Parts: sequence; structure tokens; C-alpha cells
Amino acid sequence: MKLVSGLVGLLLGAALGLGAAAAAAGIVGSGARLGSAIYVNGWTSDWTIGSEAANPWTRASVARHGLLALTKEEAVYFARNTDDAGERLSEGCDYRVRGGAMPAQWWSVTLYNSESYLPDNTDNALSYDLTDAATGSDPANWFFDISPVSSASGNGWVSSRGAGDFDLTLRLYKPKADLIADPERTLQAPSIEKLGCGEAP
Amino acid sequence: MRLPLVGLTTFVIGFAAVHFIALNALPGYIMSTARDRLAAGGIETHTWNMSPRVTPQTQTIVRPSPDLAYSLCLIDVSAGPVELAVPTWPEYGSLSIFDAYTDNIYAGSLDARQPDAPGIRRIIVALAGQAVEAEDGVDVVTVKKPEALALIRRLAPSQGLYDAAAALVPVSTCEPV
Repeated sequence: MKLVSGLVGLLLGAALGLGAAAAAAGIVGSGARLGSAIYVNGWTSDWTIGSEAANPWTRASVARHGLLALTKEEAVYFARNTDDAGERLSEGCDYRVRGGAMPAQWWSVTLYNSESYLPDNTDNALSYDLTDAATGSDPANWFFDISPVSSASGNGWVSSRGAGDFDLTLRLYKPKADLIADPERTLQAPSIEKLGCGEAP
Repeated sequence: MRLPLVGLTTFVIGFAAVHFIALNALPGYIMSTARDRLAAGGIETHTWNMSPRVTPQTQTIVRPSPDLAYSLCLIDVSAGPVELAVPTWPEYGSLSIFDAYTDNIYAGSLDARQPDAPGIRRIIVALAGQAVEAEDGVDVVTVKKPEALALIRRLAPSQGLYDAAAALVPVSTCEPV
């Protein structure tokens, strides 16, 4: 009887252990990140991404959702999947993203679907970056809109058409030392204001 | 030992063992699968390959940046070190090496505006223990397993800049020493 009980426990534990590993890596669900998480105004990052110092959960999650990510000396990555009210970013709503000067040589904000791929559309409006901020408005006070349809306002636009629930990745290439040392004080993390919602796609 | 305690003990052992074995195996498995997919797509080892301009229709890996032009080279140092030589770029750019466990073990700037920009960045990738003779200005990168991947990122948000980045592939090298 003890043998049966031990075997059942072992098999159950092994199955749950495998499931928990898949969940942590984001193979099932969105993935978990434990350890060195950094939070700035709703955006999250982890300075151990890409490095040998990453814990097993971070490493597995990055392999699944951010393969070939660089270490913090070259680039840092922030992700966010909720608006300023804490609600899930969704194709069914329009948003305005506002930000200021970024403590890096170059930066971009890119929209990805829940599978970590670019949304399947042909709008050629997948990201907003320093180049757009410098030409379209003020690099120290910029904004762009996220919507499944292009706005007639002429503002910067990132298309969410075909994205479903989505998230944004803020990439900061060649980040300044101050950002690495004290991200909460240094980064003026972009805000995400919901402008309104239409009918669900 | 009581019956419930036996079950609980083996449950904890089974959970912890499988959880950590799977977690530690996943990055290597994902990298190996990505490498196999690239090879199946016609990408040869020790050859720079320009990825198509990133669009939803051309993306092959998760979270590609549509603002960057990517070139990659599959590396295998089992027969000896491999040398890479890559021209710099007038905007942001980098040459990075990823090992078989997905770790980014090297990143060198390709930004020609930097004061220490080398013109052509040269590195040698070698397996731990392999003899390497490197000239001055050549970085040596050591890997624990023979398989590695080199990736060039160049800021190229327009078709014209992408074409300019593509024109640098024929003058870049990735070949056994």
C-alpha cells in the first residue's frame, strides 16, 4: 500500500512539476517571472534577461517569449499589457501612449499579440520609435495612438488590427548607466490612456 | 512512515525534480529547435544570412523588432574556432553571440559614431580549451557547447536603410579560422 501511495504521489508530482514548468516558461499561459523583476509605472523588466545570471524561470520565459534578447549593457526591455487603469490592452479599444526623453541611445515601442508575434495585418504600423518622435513631434514630449484603424488626426499610429489582447515592448538600446543603476528614478515610463472602446472584433 | 506522508514526500520529490529538469532543459531545447528550423529553411552554417525585412508575414522568431535589419550566422566550433568580421553602421548596430543555452555571451557595438568604433568588428568564437591566436583588436568569445549563433542588428526603419544593410552581408565573414 505504501508503494502504491508513493508511486501515485511521484506521478502526480511529476505531472504538476512539468505543468508548472510549462506555465512558468509561458508555453501555457503568459508565463511567470520570479526574482529580479523591475516595475516602473506599470512596465516590467528584468536586468538578468539574456545573461547567465538569470534564474531558471526567467531564462525559460525569455527563451519562449524573447529568444535572442540582449543583456542589459546593450539593451533593456520593458513590457506592459495593461492600461493606466490596470485593464488588459485589447484590440477592441483605442489608446494614447505618452512619453518623454528616454535614457538610451535609441528606443522603440512595439505591439505584439498574446503569442509574442507581430499582429497579422498589413498596416505597416507596427511600432513607434525615436525616429518617429524626432520627426513627428518632440522627442522629449511625444505621443502616439494605438487603434485597429488609422486615425485621421495625423498623430503617430500603431495598428492593433488582428492583435486581440496584446502587450507593448519598450526597447532601450545602449541604456544610460543611470537607468541600469536606478530605473525607478531614471525612466519616465510611457503612460497608456484608454481613449474608448468600440465593438469587440 | 504513515501512508499519507509517503505520498506527500514522493509528490514533492517528483514535482521538484521534473520541474527543475524541464526548466533547465527548455532554453537549450528551444534554441536547438530554432536552429533546426533555420537550417531546414536553407540557412547554412558559417554563412551570413540576411533576414527578410520584418513584417507580420515574414517573422520567424518571437518578438522581432520591425525597425531593425537582422543578419545571422549559425556557428559550429566543434572542428575549430570561427572568425567573424562585420562592418560598422552609421546608426545603432550590434554584433552579438548567443550560446546553445540562449545566453547572450557577447555584444559588440557596430555604431560607427562611437569614439572607439573599429571600422570592422572582428571576433573569434572558440570552444573552451581550443587554442586561439588572436591579433590585437580581435575579441575572443568562449562557448561551452559547439553550437552558437551570431546576430547582427542594424537600425533600418526604411526600405532604403534595409537595402543598405543587406549590401553589407557580402563583405561580412563568418568562417572557420
